[in-house]
Amino acid sequence: MPVSQTRVRVLFVLFLVASSLLAVRLTQWQAIDRGRLASLATAQVRSDELIPAQRGIIRDRNGAILATTVELRSLYAIPSRVKDKAATAAALGVLLGRDPKPILDRLSSGAEWTFIHRRLPEAAAKAIAALGIEGLGFETEPKRVYPNDQVAAHLLGFVNDDGVGVYGVEGAYDDVLRGTPGRLVVERDPSARALPVGLRHAVPARDGAELTLTIDLVIQHAAERELAAAIAKEKAAAGTIVVLDPKDGAILALASYPTFDPSAVAVSDPEALRDRAIAWAFEPGSTLKSITVAAALDAGLVTPATTYNDVGYAVIGGRRLNNALGKVWGPTTVTQVLERSANAGAVFVASKLGAERLHAALATFGLGRKTGVDLAGEIGGRVRPLAEWYPVDVGTAAFGQGLTTTPLQLASAYAALANGGILYRPHAVASRRDADGEHRTEPVAIRRAVAPETAAAMRAMLTSTVDNGLAQNARLAAFSVAGKTGTAQIPDAAGSYESDQYISSFAGFAPADDPRFVAVVVLERPESRILGTLTATSAFKGLALDVLRTARVQPDRAGARP
Amino acid sequence: MTLSISLGPVPHRRSHASRTTPPLRPGRGGSAGAARARSAARQRAGRRTSAHVPAVSRAAASPSHGITWETRSFAAAAAAIASGFLLAALYLSQITGLSARDYEVQRLEAQRDELRRQHALLDVQLARLDAPARIELQAQRLGLVRVTTVPVMQAAELLARK
Repeated sequence: MPVSQTRVRVLFVLFLVASSLLAVRLTQWQAIDRGRLASLATAQVRSDELIPAQRGIIRDRNGAILATTVELRSLYAIPSRVKDKAATAAALGVLLGRDPKPILDRLSSGAEWTFIHRRLPEAAAKAIAALGIEGLGFETEPKRVYPNDQVAAHLLGFVNDDGVGVYGVEGAYDDVLRGTPGRLVVERDPSARALPVGLRHAVPARDGAELTLTIDLVIQHAAERELAAAIAKEKAAAGTIVVLDPKDGAILALASYPTFDPSAVAVSDPEALRDRAIAWAFEPGSTLKSITVAAALDAGLVTPATTYNDVGYAVIGGRRLNNALGKVWGPTTVTQVLERSANAGAVFVASKLGAERLHAALATFGLGRKTGVDLAGEIGGRVRPLAEWYPVDVGTAAFGQGLTTTPLQLASAYAALANGGILYRPHAVASRRDADGEHRTEPVAIRRAVAPETAAAMRAMLTSTVDNGLAQNARLAAFSVAGKTGTAQIPDAAGSYESDQYISSFAGFAPADDPRFVAVVVLERPESRILGTLTATSAFKGLALDVLRTARVQPDRAGARP
Repeated sequence: MTLSISLGPVPHRRSHASRTTPPLRPGRGGSAGAARARSAARQRAGRRTSAHVPAVSRAAASPSHGITWETRSFAAAAAAIASGFLLAALYLSQITGLSARDYEVQRLEAQRDELRRQHALLDVQLARLDAPARIELQAQRLGLVRVTTVPVMQAAELLARK
């Protein structure tokens, strides 16, 4: 049968046209739109992800975890895939301990994807996963966890919702703890698995450094326990306890009240966030007499046996400054000035020093200025410049009025008396460990505050103050204790002092001859002026028992060991 | 350039050989004579071919080897295709294996991450259980009391007793 040439030609033309169209389309795809289509195709499979860095762990000096970051599971829902929303909400409500109504509202909101509950406890997450409800899923989210709850909250600080450390160690070492996030560019299949032979470009994350603090969890717990008991007993408004190692300025414990839970800062009282040990300045009162006497001893102006006749008051700058409770002590040695906490005696000693040397001594002991502690939020307190001092200021400063310090400054100054005269910079971090290894914090000796002989004399005088003076409540049966009580008035906004409102404190160390710790206890607005000081010394005593037991310190006195 | 592959003799050479062979005359000498004449003609044709065909062509067409260049080309092409196929199969096999292993690695990595997560949670739980506050509370619940004093004997006392 002969083939029609016309049909062949028509067929040829059709093929030619079809081929041409195909060629044009291919040219468009392969040449003209190549870049756009290639990027669209790449975008479908390529994912550019940030690899979060793990925030560093914070430990106490014995390795106990104080703060760490864990990945907790957050429950999400794809509501369109949840078949029985009411039953699902009811089941979740039981497991989450929540009202099912808000859960049902979320499931019925019409959202394409929604969180039901973020950062679940692991047990609840497992229970929900076991239900196998279609349309529910989990994704992990980091959470900063503080296993000891409120213990050392002020010292640790916290991490806010943006993952930034605030206050305390978390704030001061945020850049070290945070680490550096990495980046992963990878092609993924529809199941979100990385394609084996696809693009893969990874810059690993550099995790944050691990910090080991100088605090001892046992001592920290003891400090918080004693502080809470003292606050409760005296119905005080606030309080703080600072414990230092006098040999290098390491902070052994730092407690502040009111306190907060660093895991639940959002519901905390903002005032509770303030670390009263470093961010609250107060007039130290009689605890400062030790510094006045130390300065005069160091200058050779008095000796422990130097005597004056106490008439119950002293006149300086035309002002009369009275002893507490109007006591008249008669002939009094400088040692007895501390034992009896005689204001007139402190003025006597300060008068021998003069304003210039007293002012210099306060600066030498680091009072009224920041210590440089490695904690966020420290304030300096205030010691007015010498040029602003009135003649009476020599007298009032001698017994701790008219100037403000932080409890940490006071503890640091007493540590200098305890260790032989060296003022160390307090520090909270003993070491940090990162990819390059461990880096230990070297103690920083700021300056010599007094000569070793002066410090030794002060230790003996302060021991006598506890053994024979007003601070007898701080005595321990088997250990020598040195210390000084303080009761200070609270200045008001008008420049005067509030009536019947005091700050009770005690600063001391033990054992007196070879001190293992220095502690400052401060109670703000205790119910009773006298009992407030007694309670502060009791808190010191309770703390000392635990510190000396923990450190296994051998008794230096005959008697019953605590 | 088109490559034609044929299993039969090359047409132009066959026609050339037939042209150089004198036509047979069936009427003289009978069948035996005809056979002898064909044999003689083949020998003549063979001698004449040997004298005029180049050595390479002669080798290719040599009946003693029995393999033409077309056969060799075919065999080479077939071998190339087979090799390519094998290589492709090997490549696919390797890629498949690699993919499977990579997915396995990803699964193991996910398992490792989950175990690390569980480990971190257990660390936290351990820290909570070790907390001095919890231990003190448990001790109080158990009725334990804090020892207020522990009698201590000084070394001098011990020596005196001895």
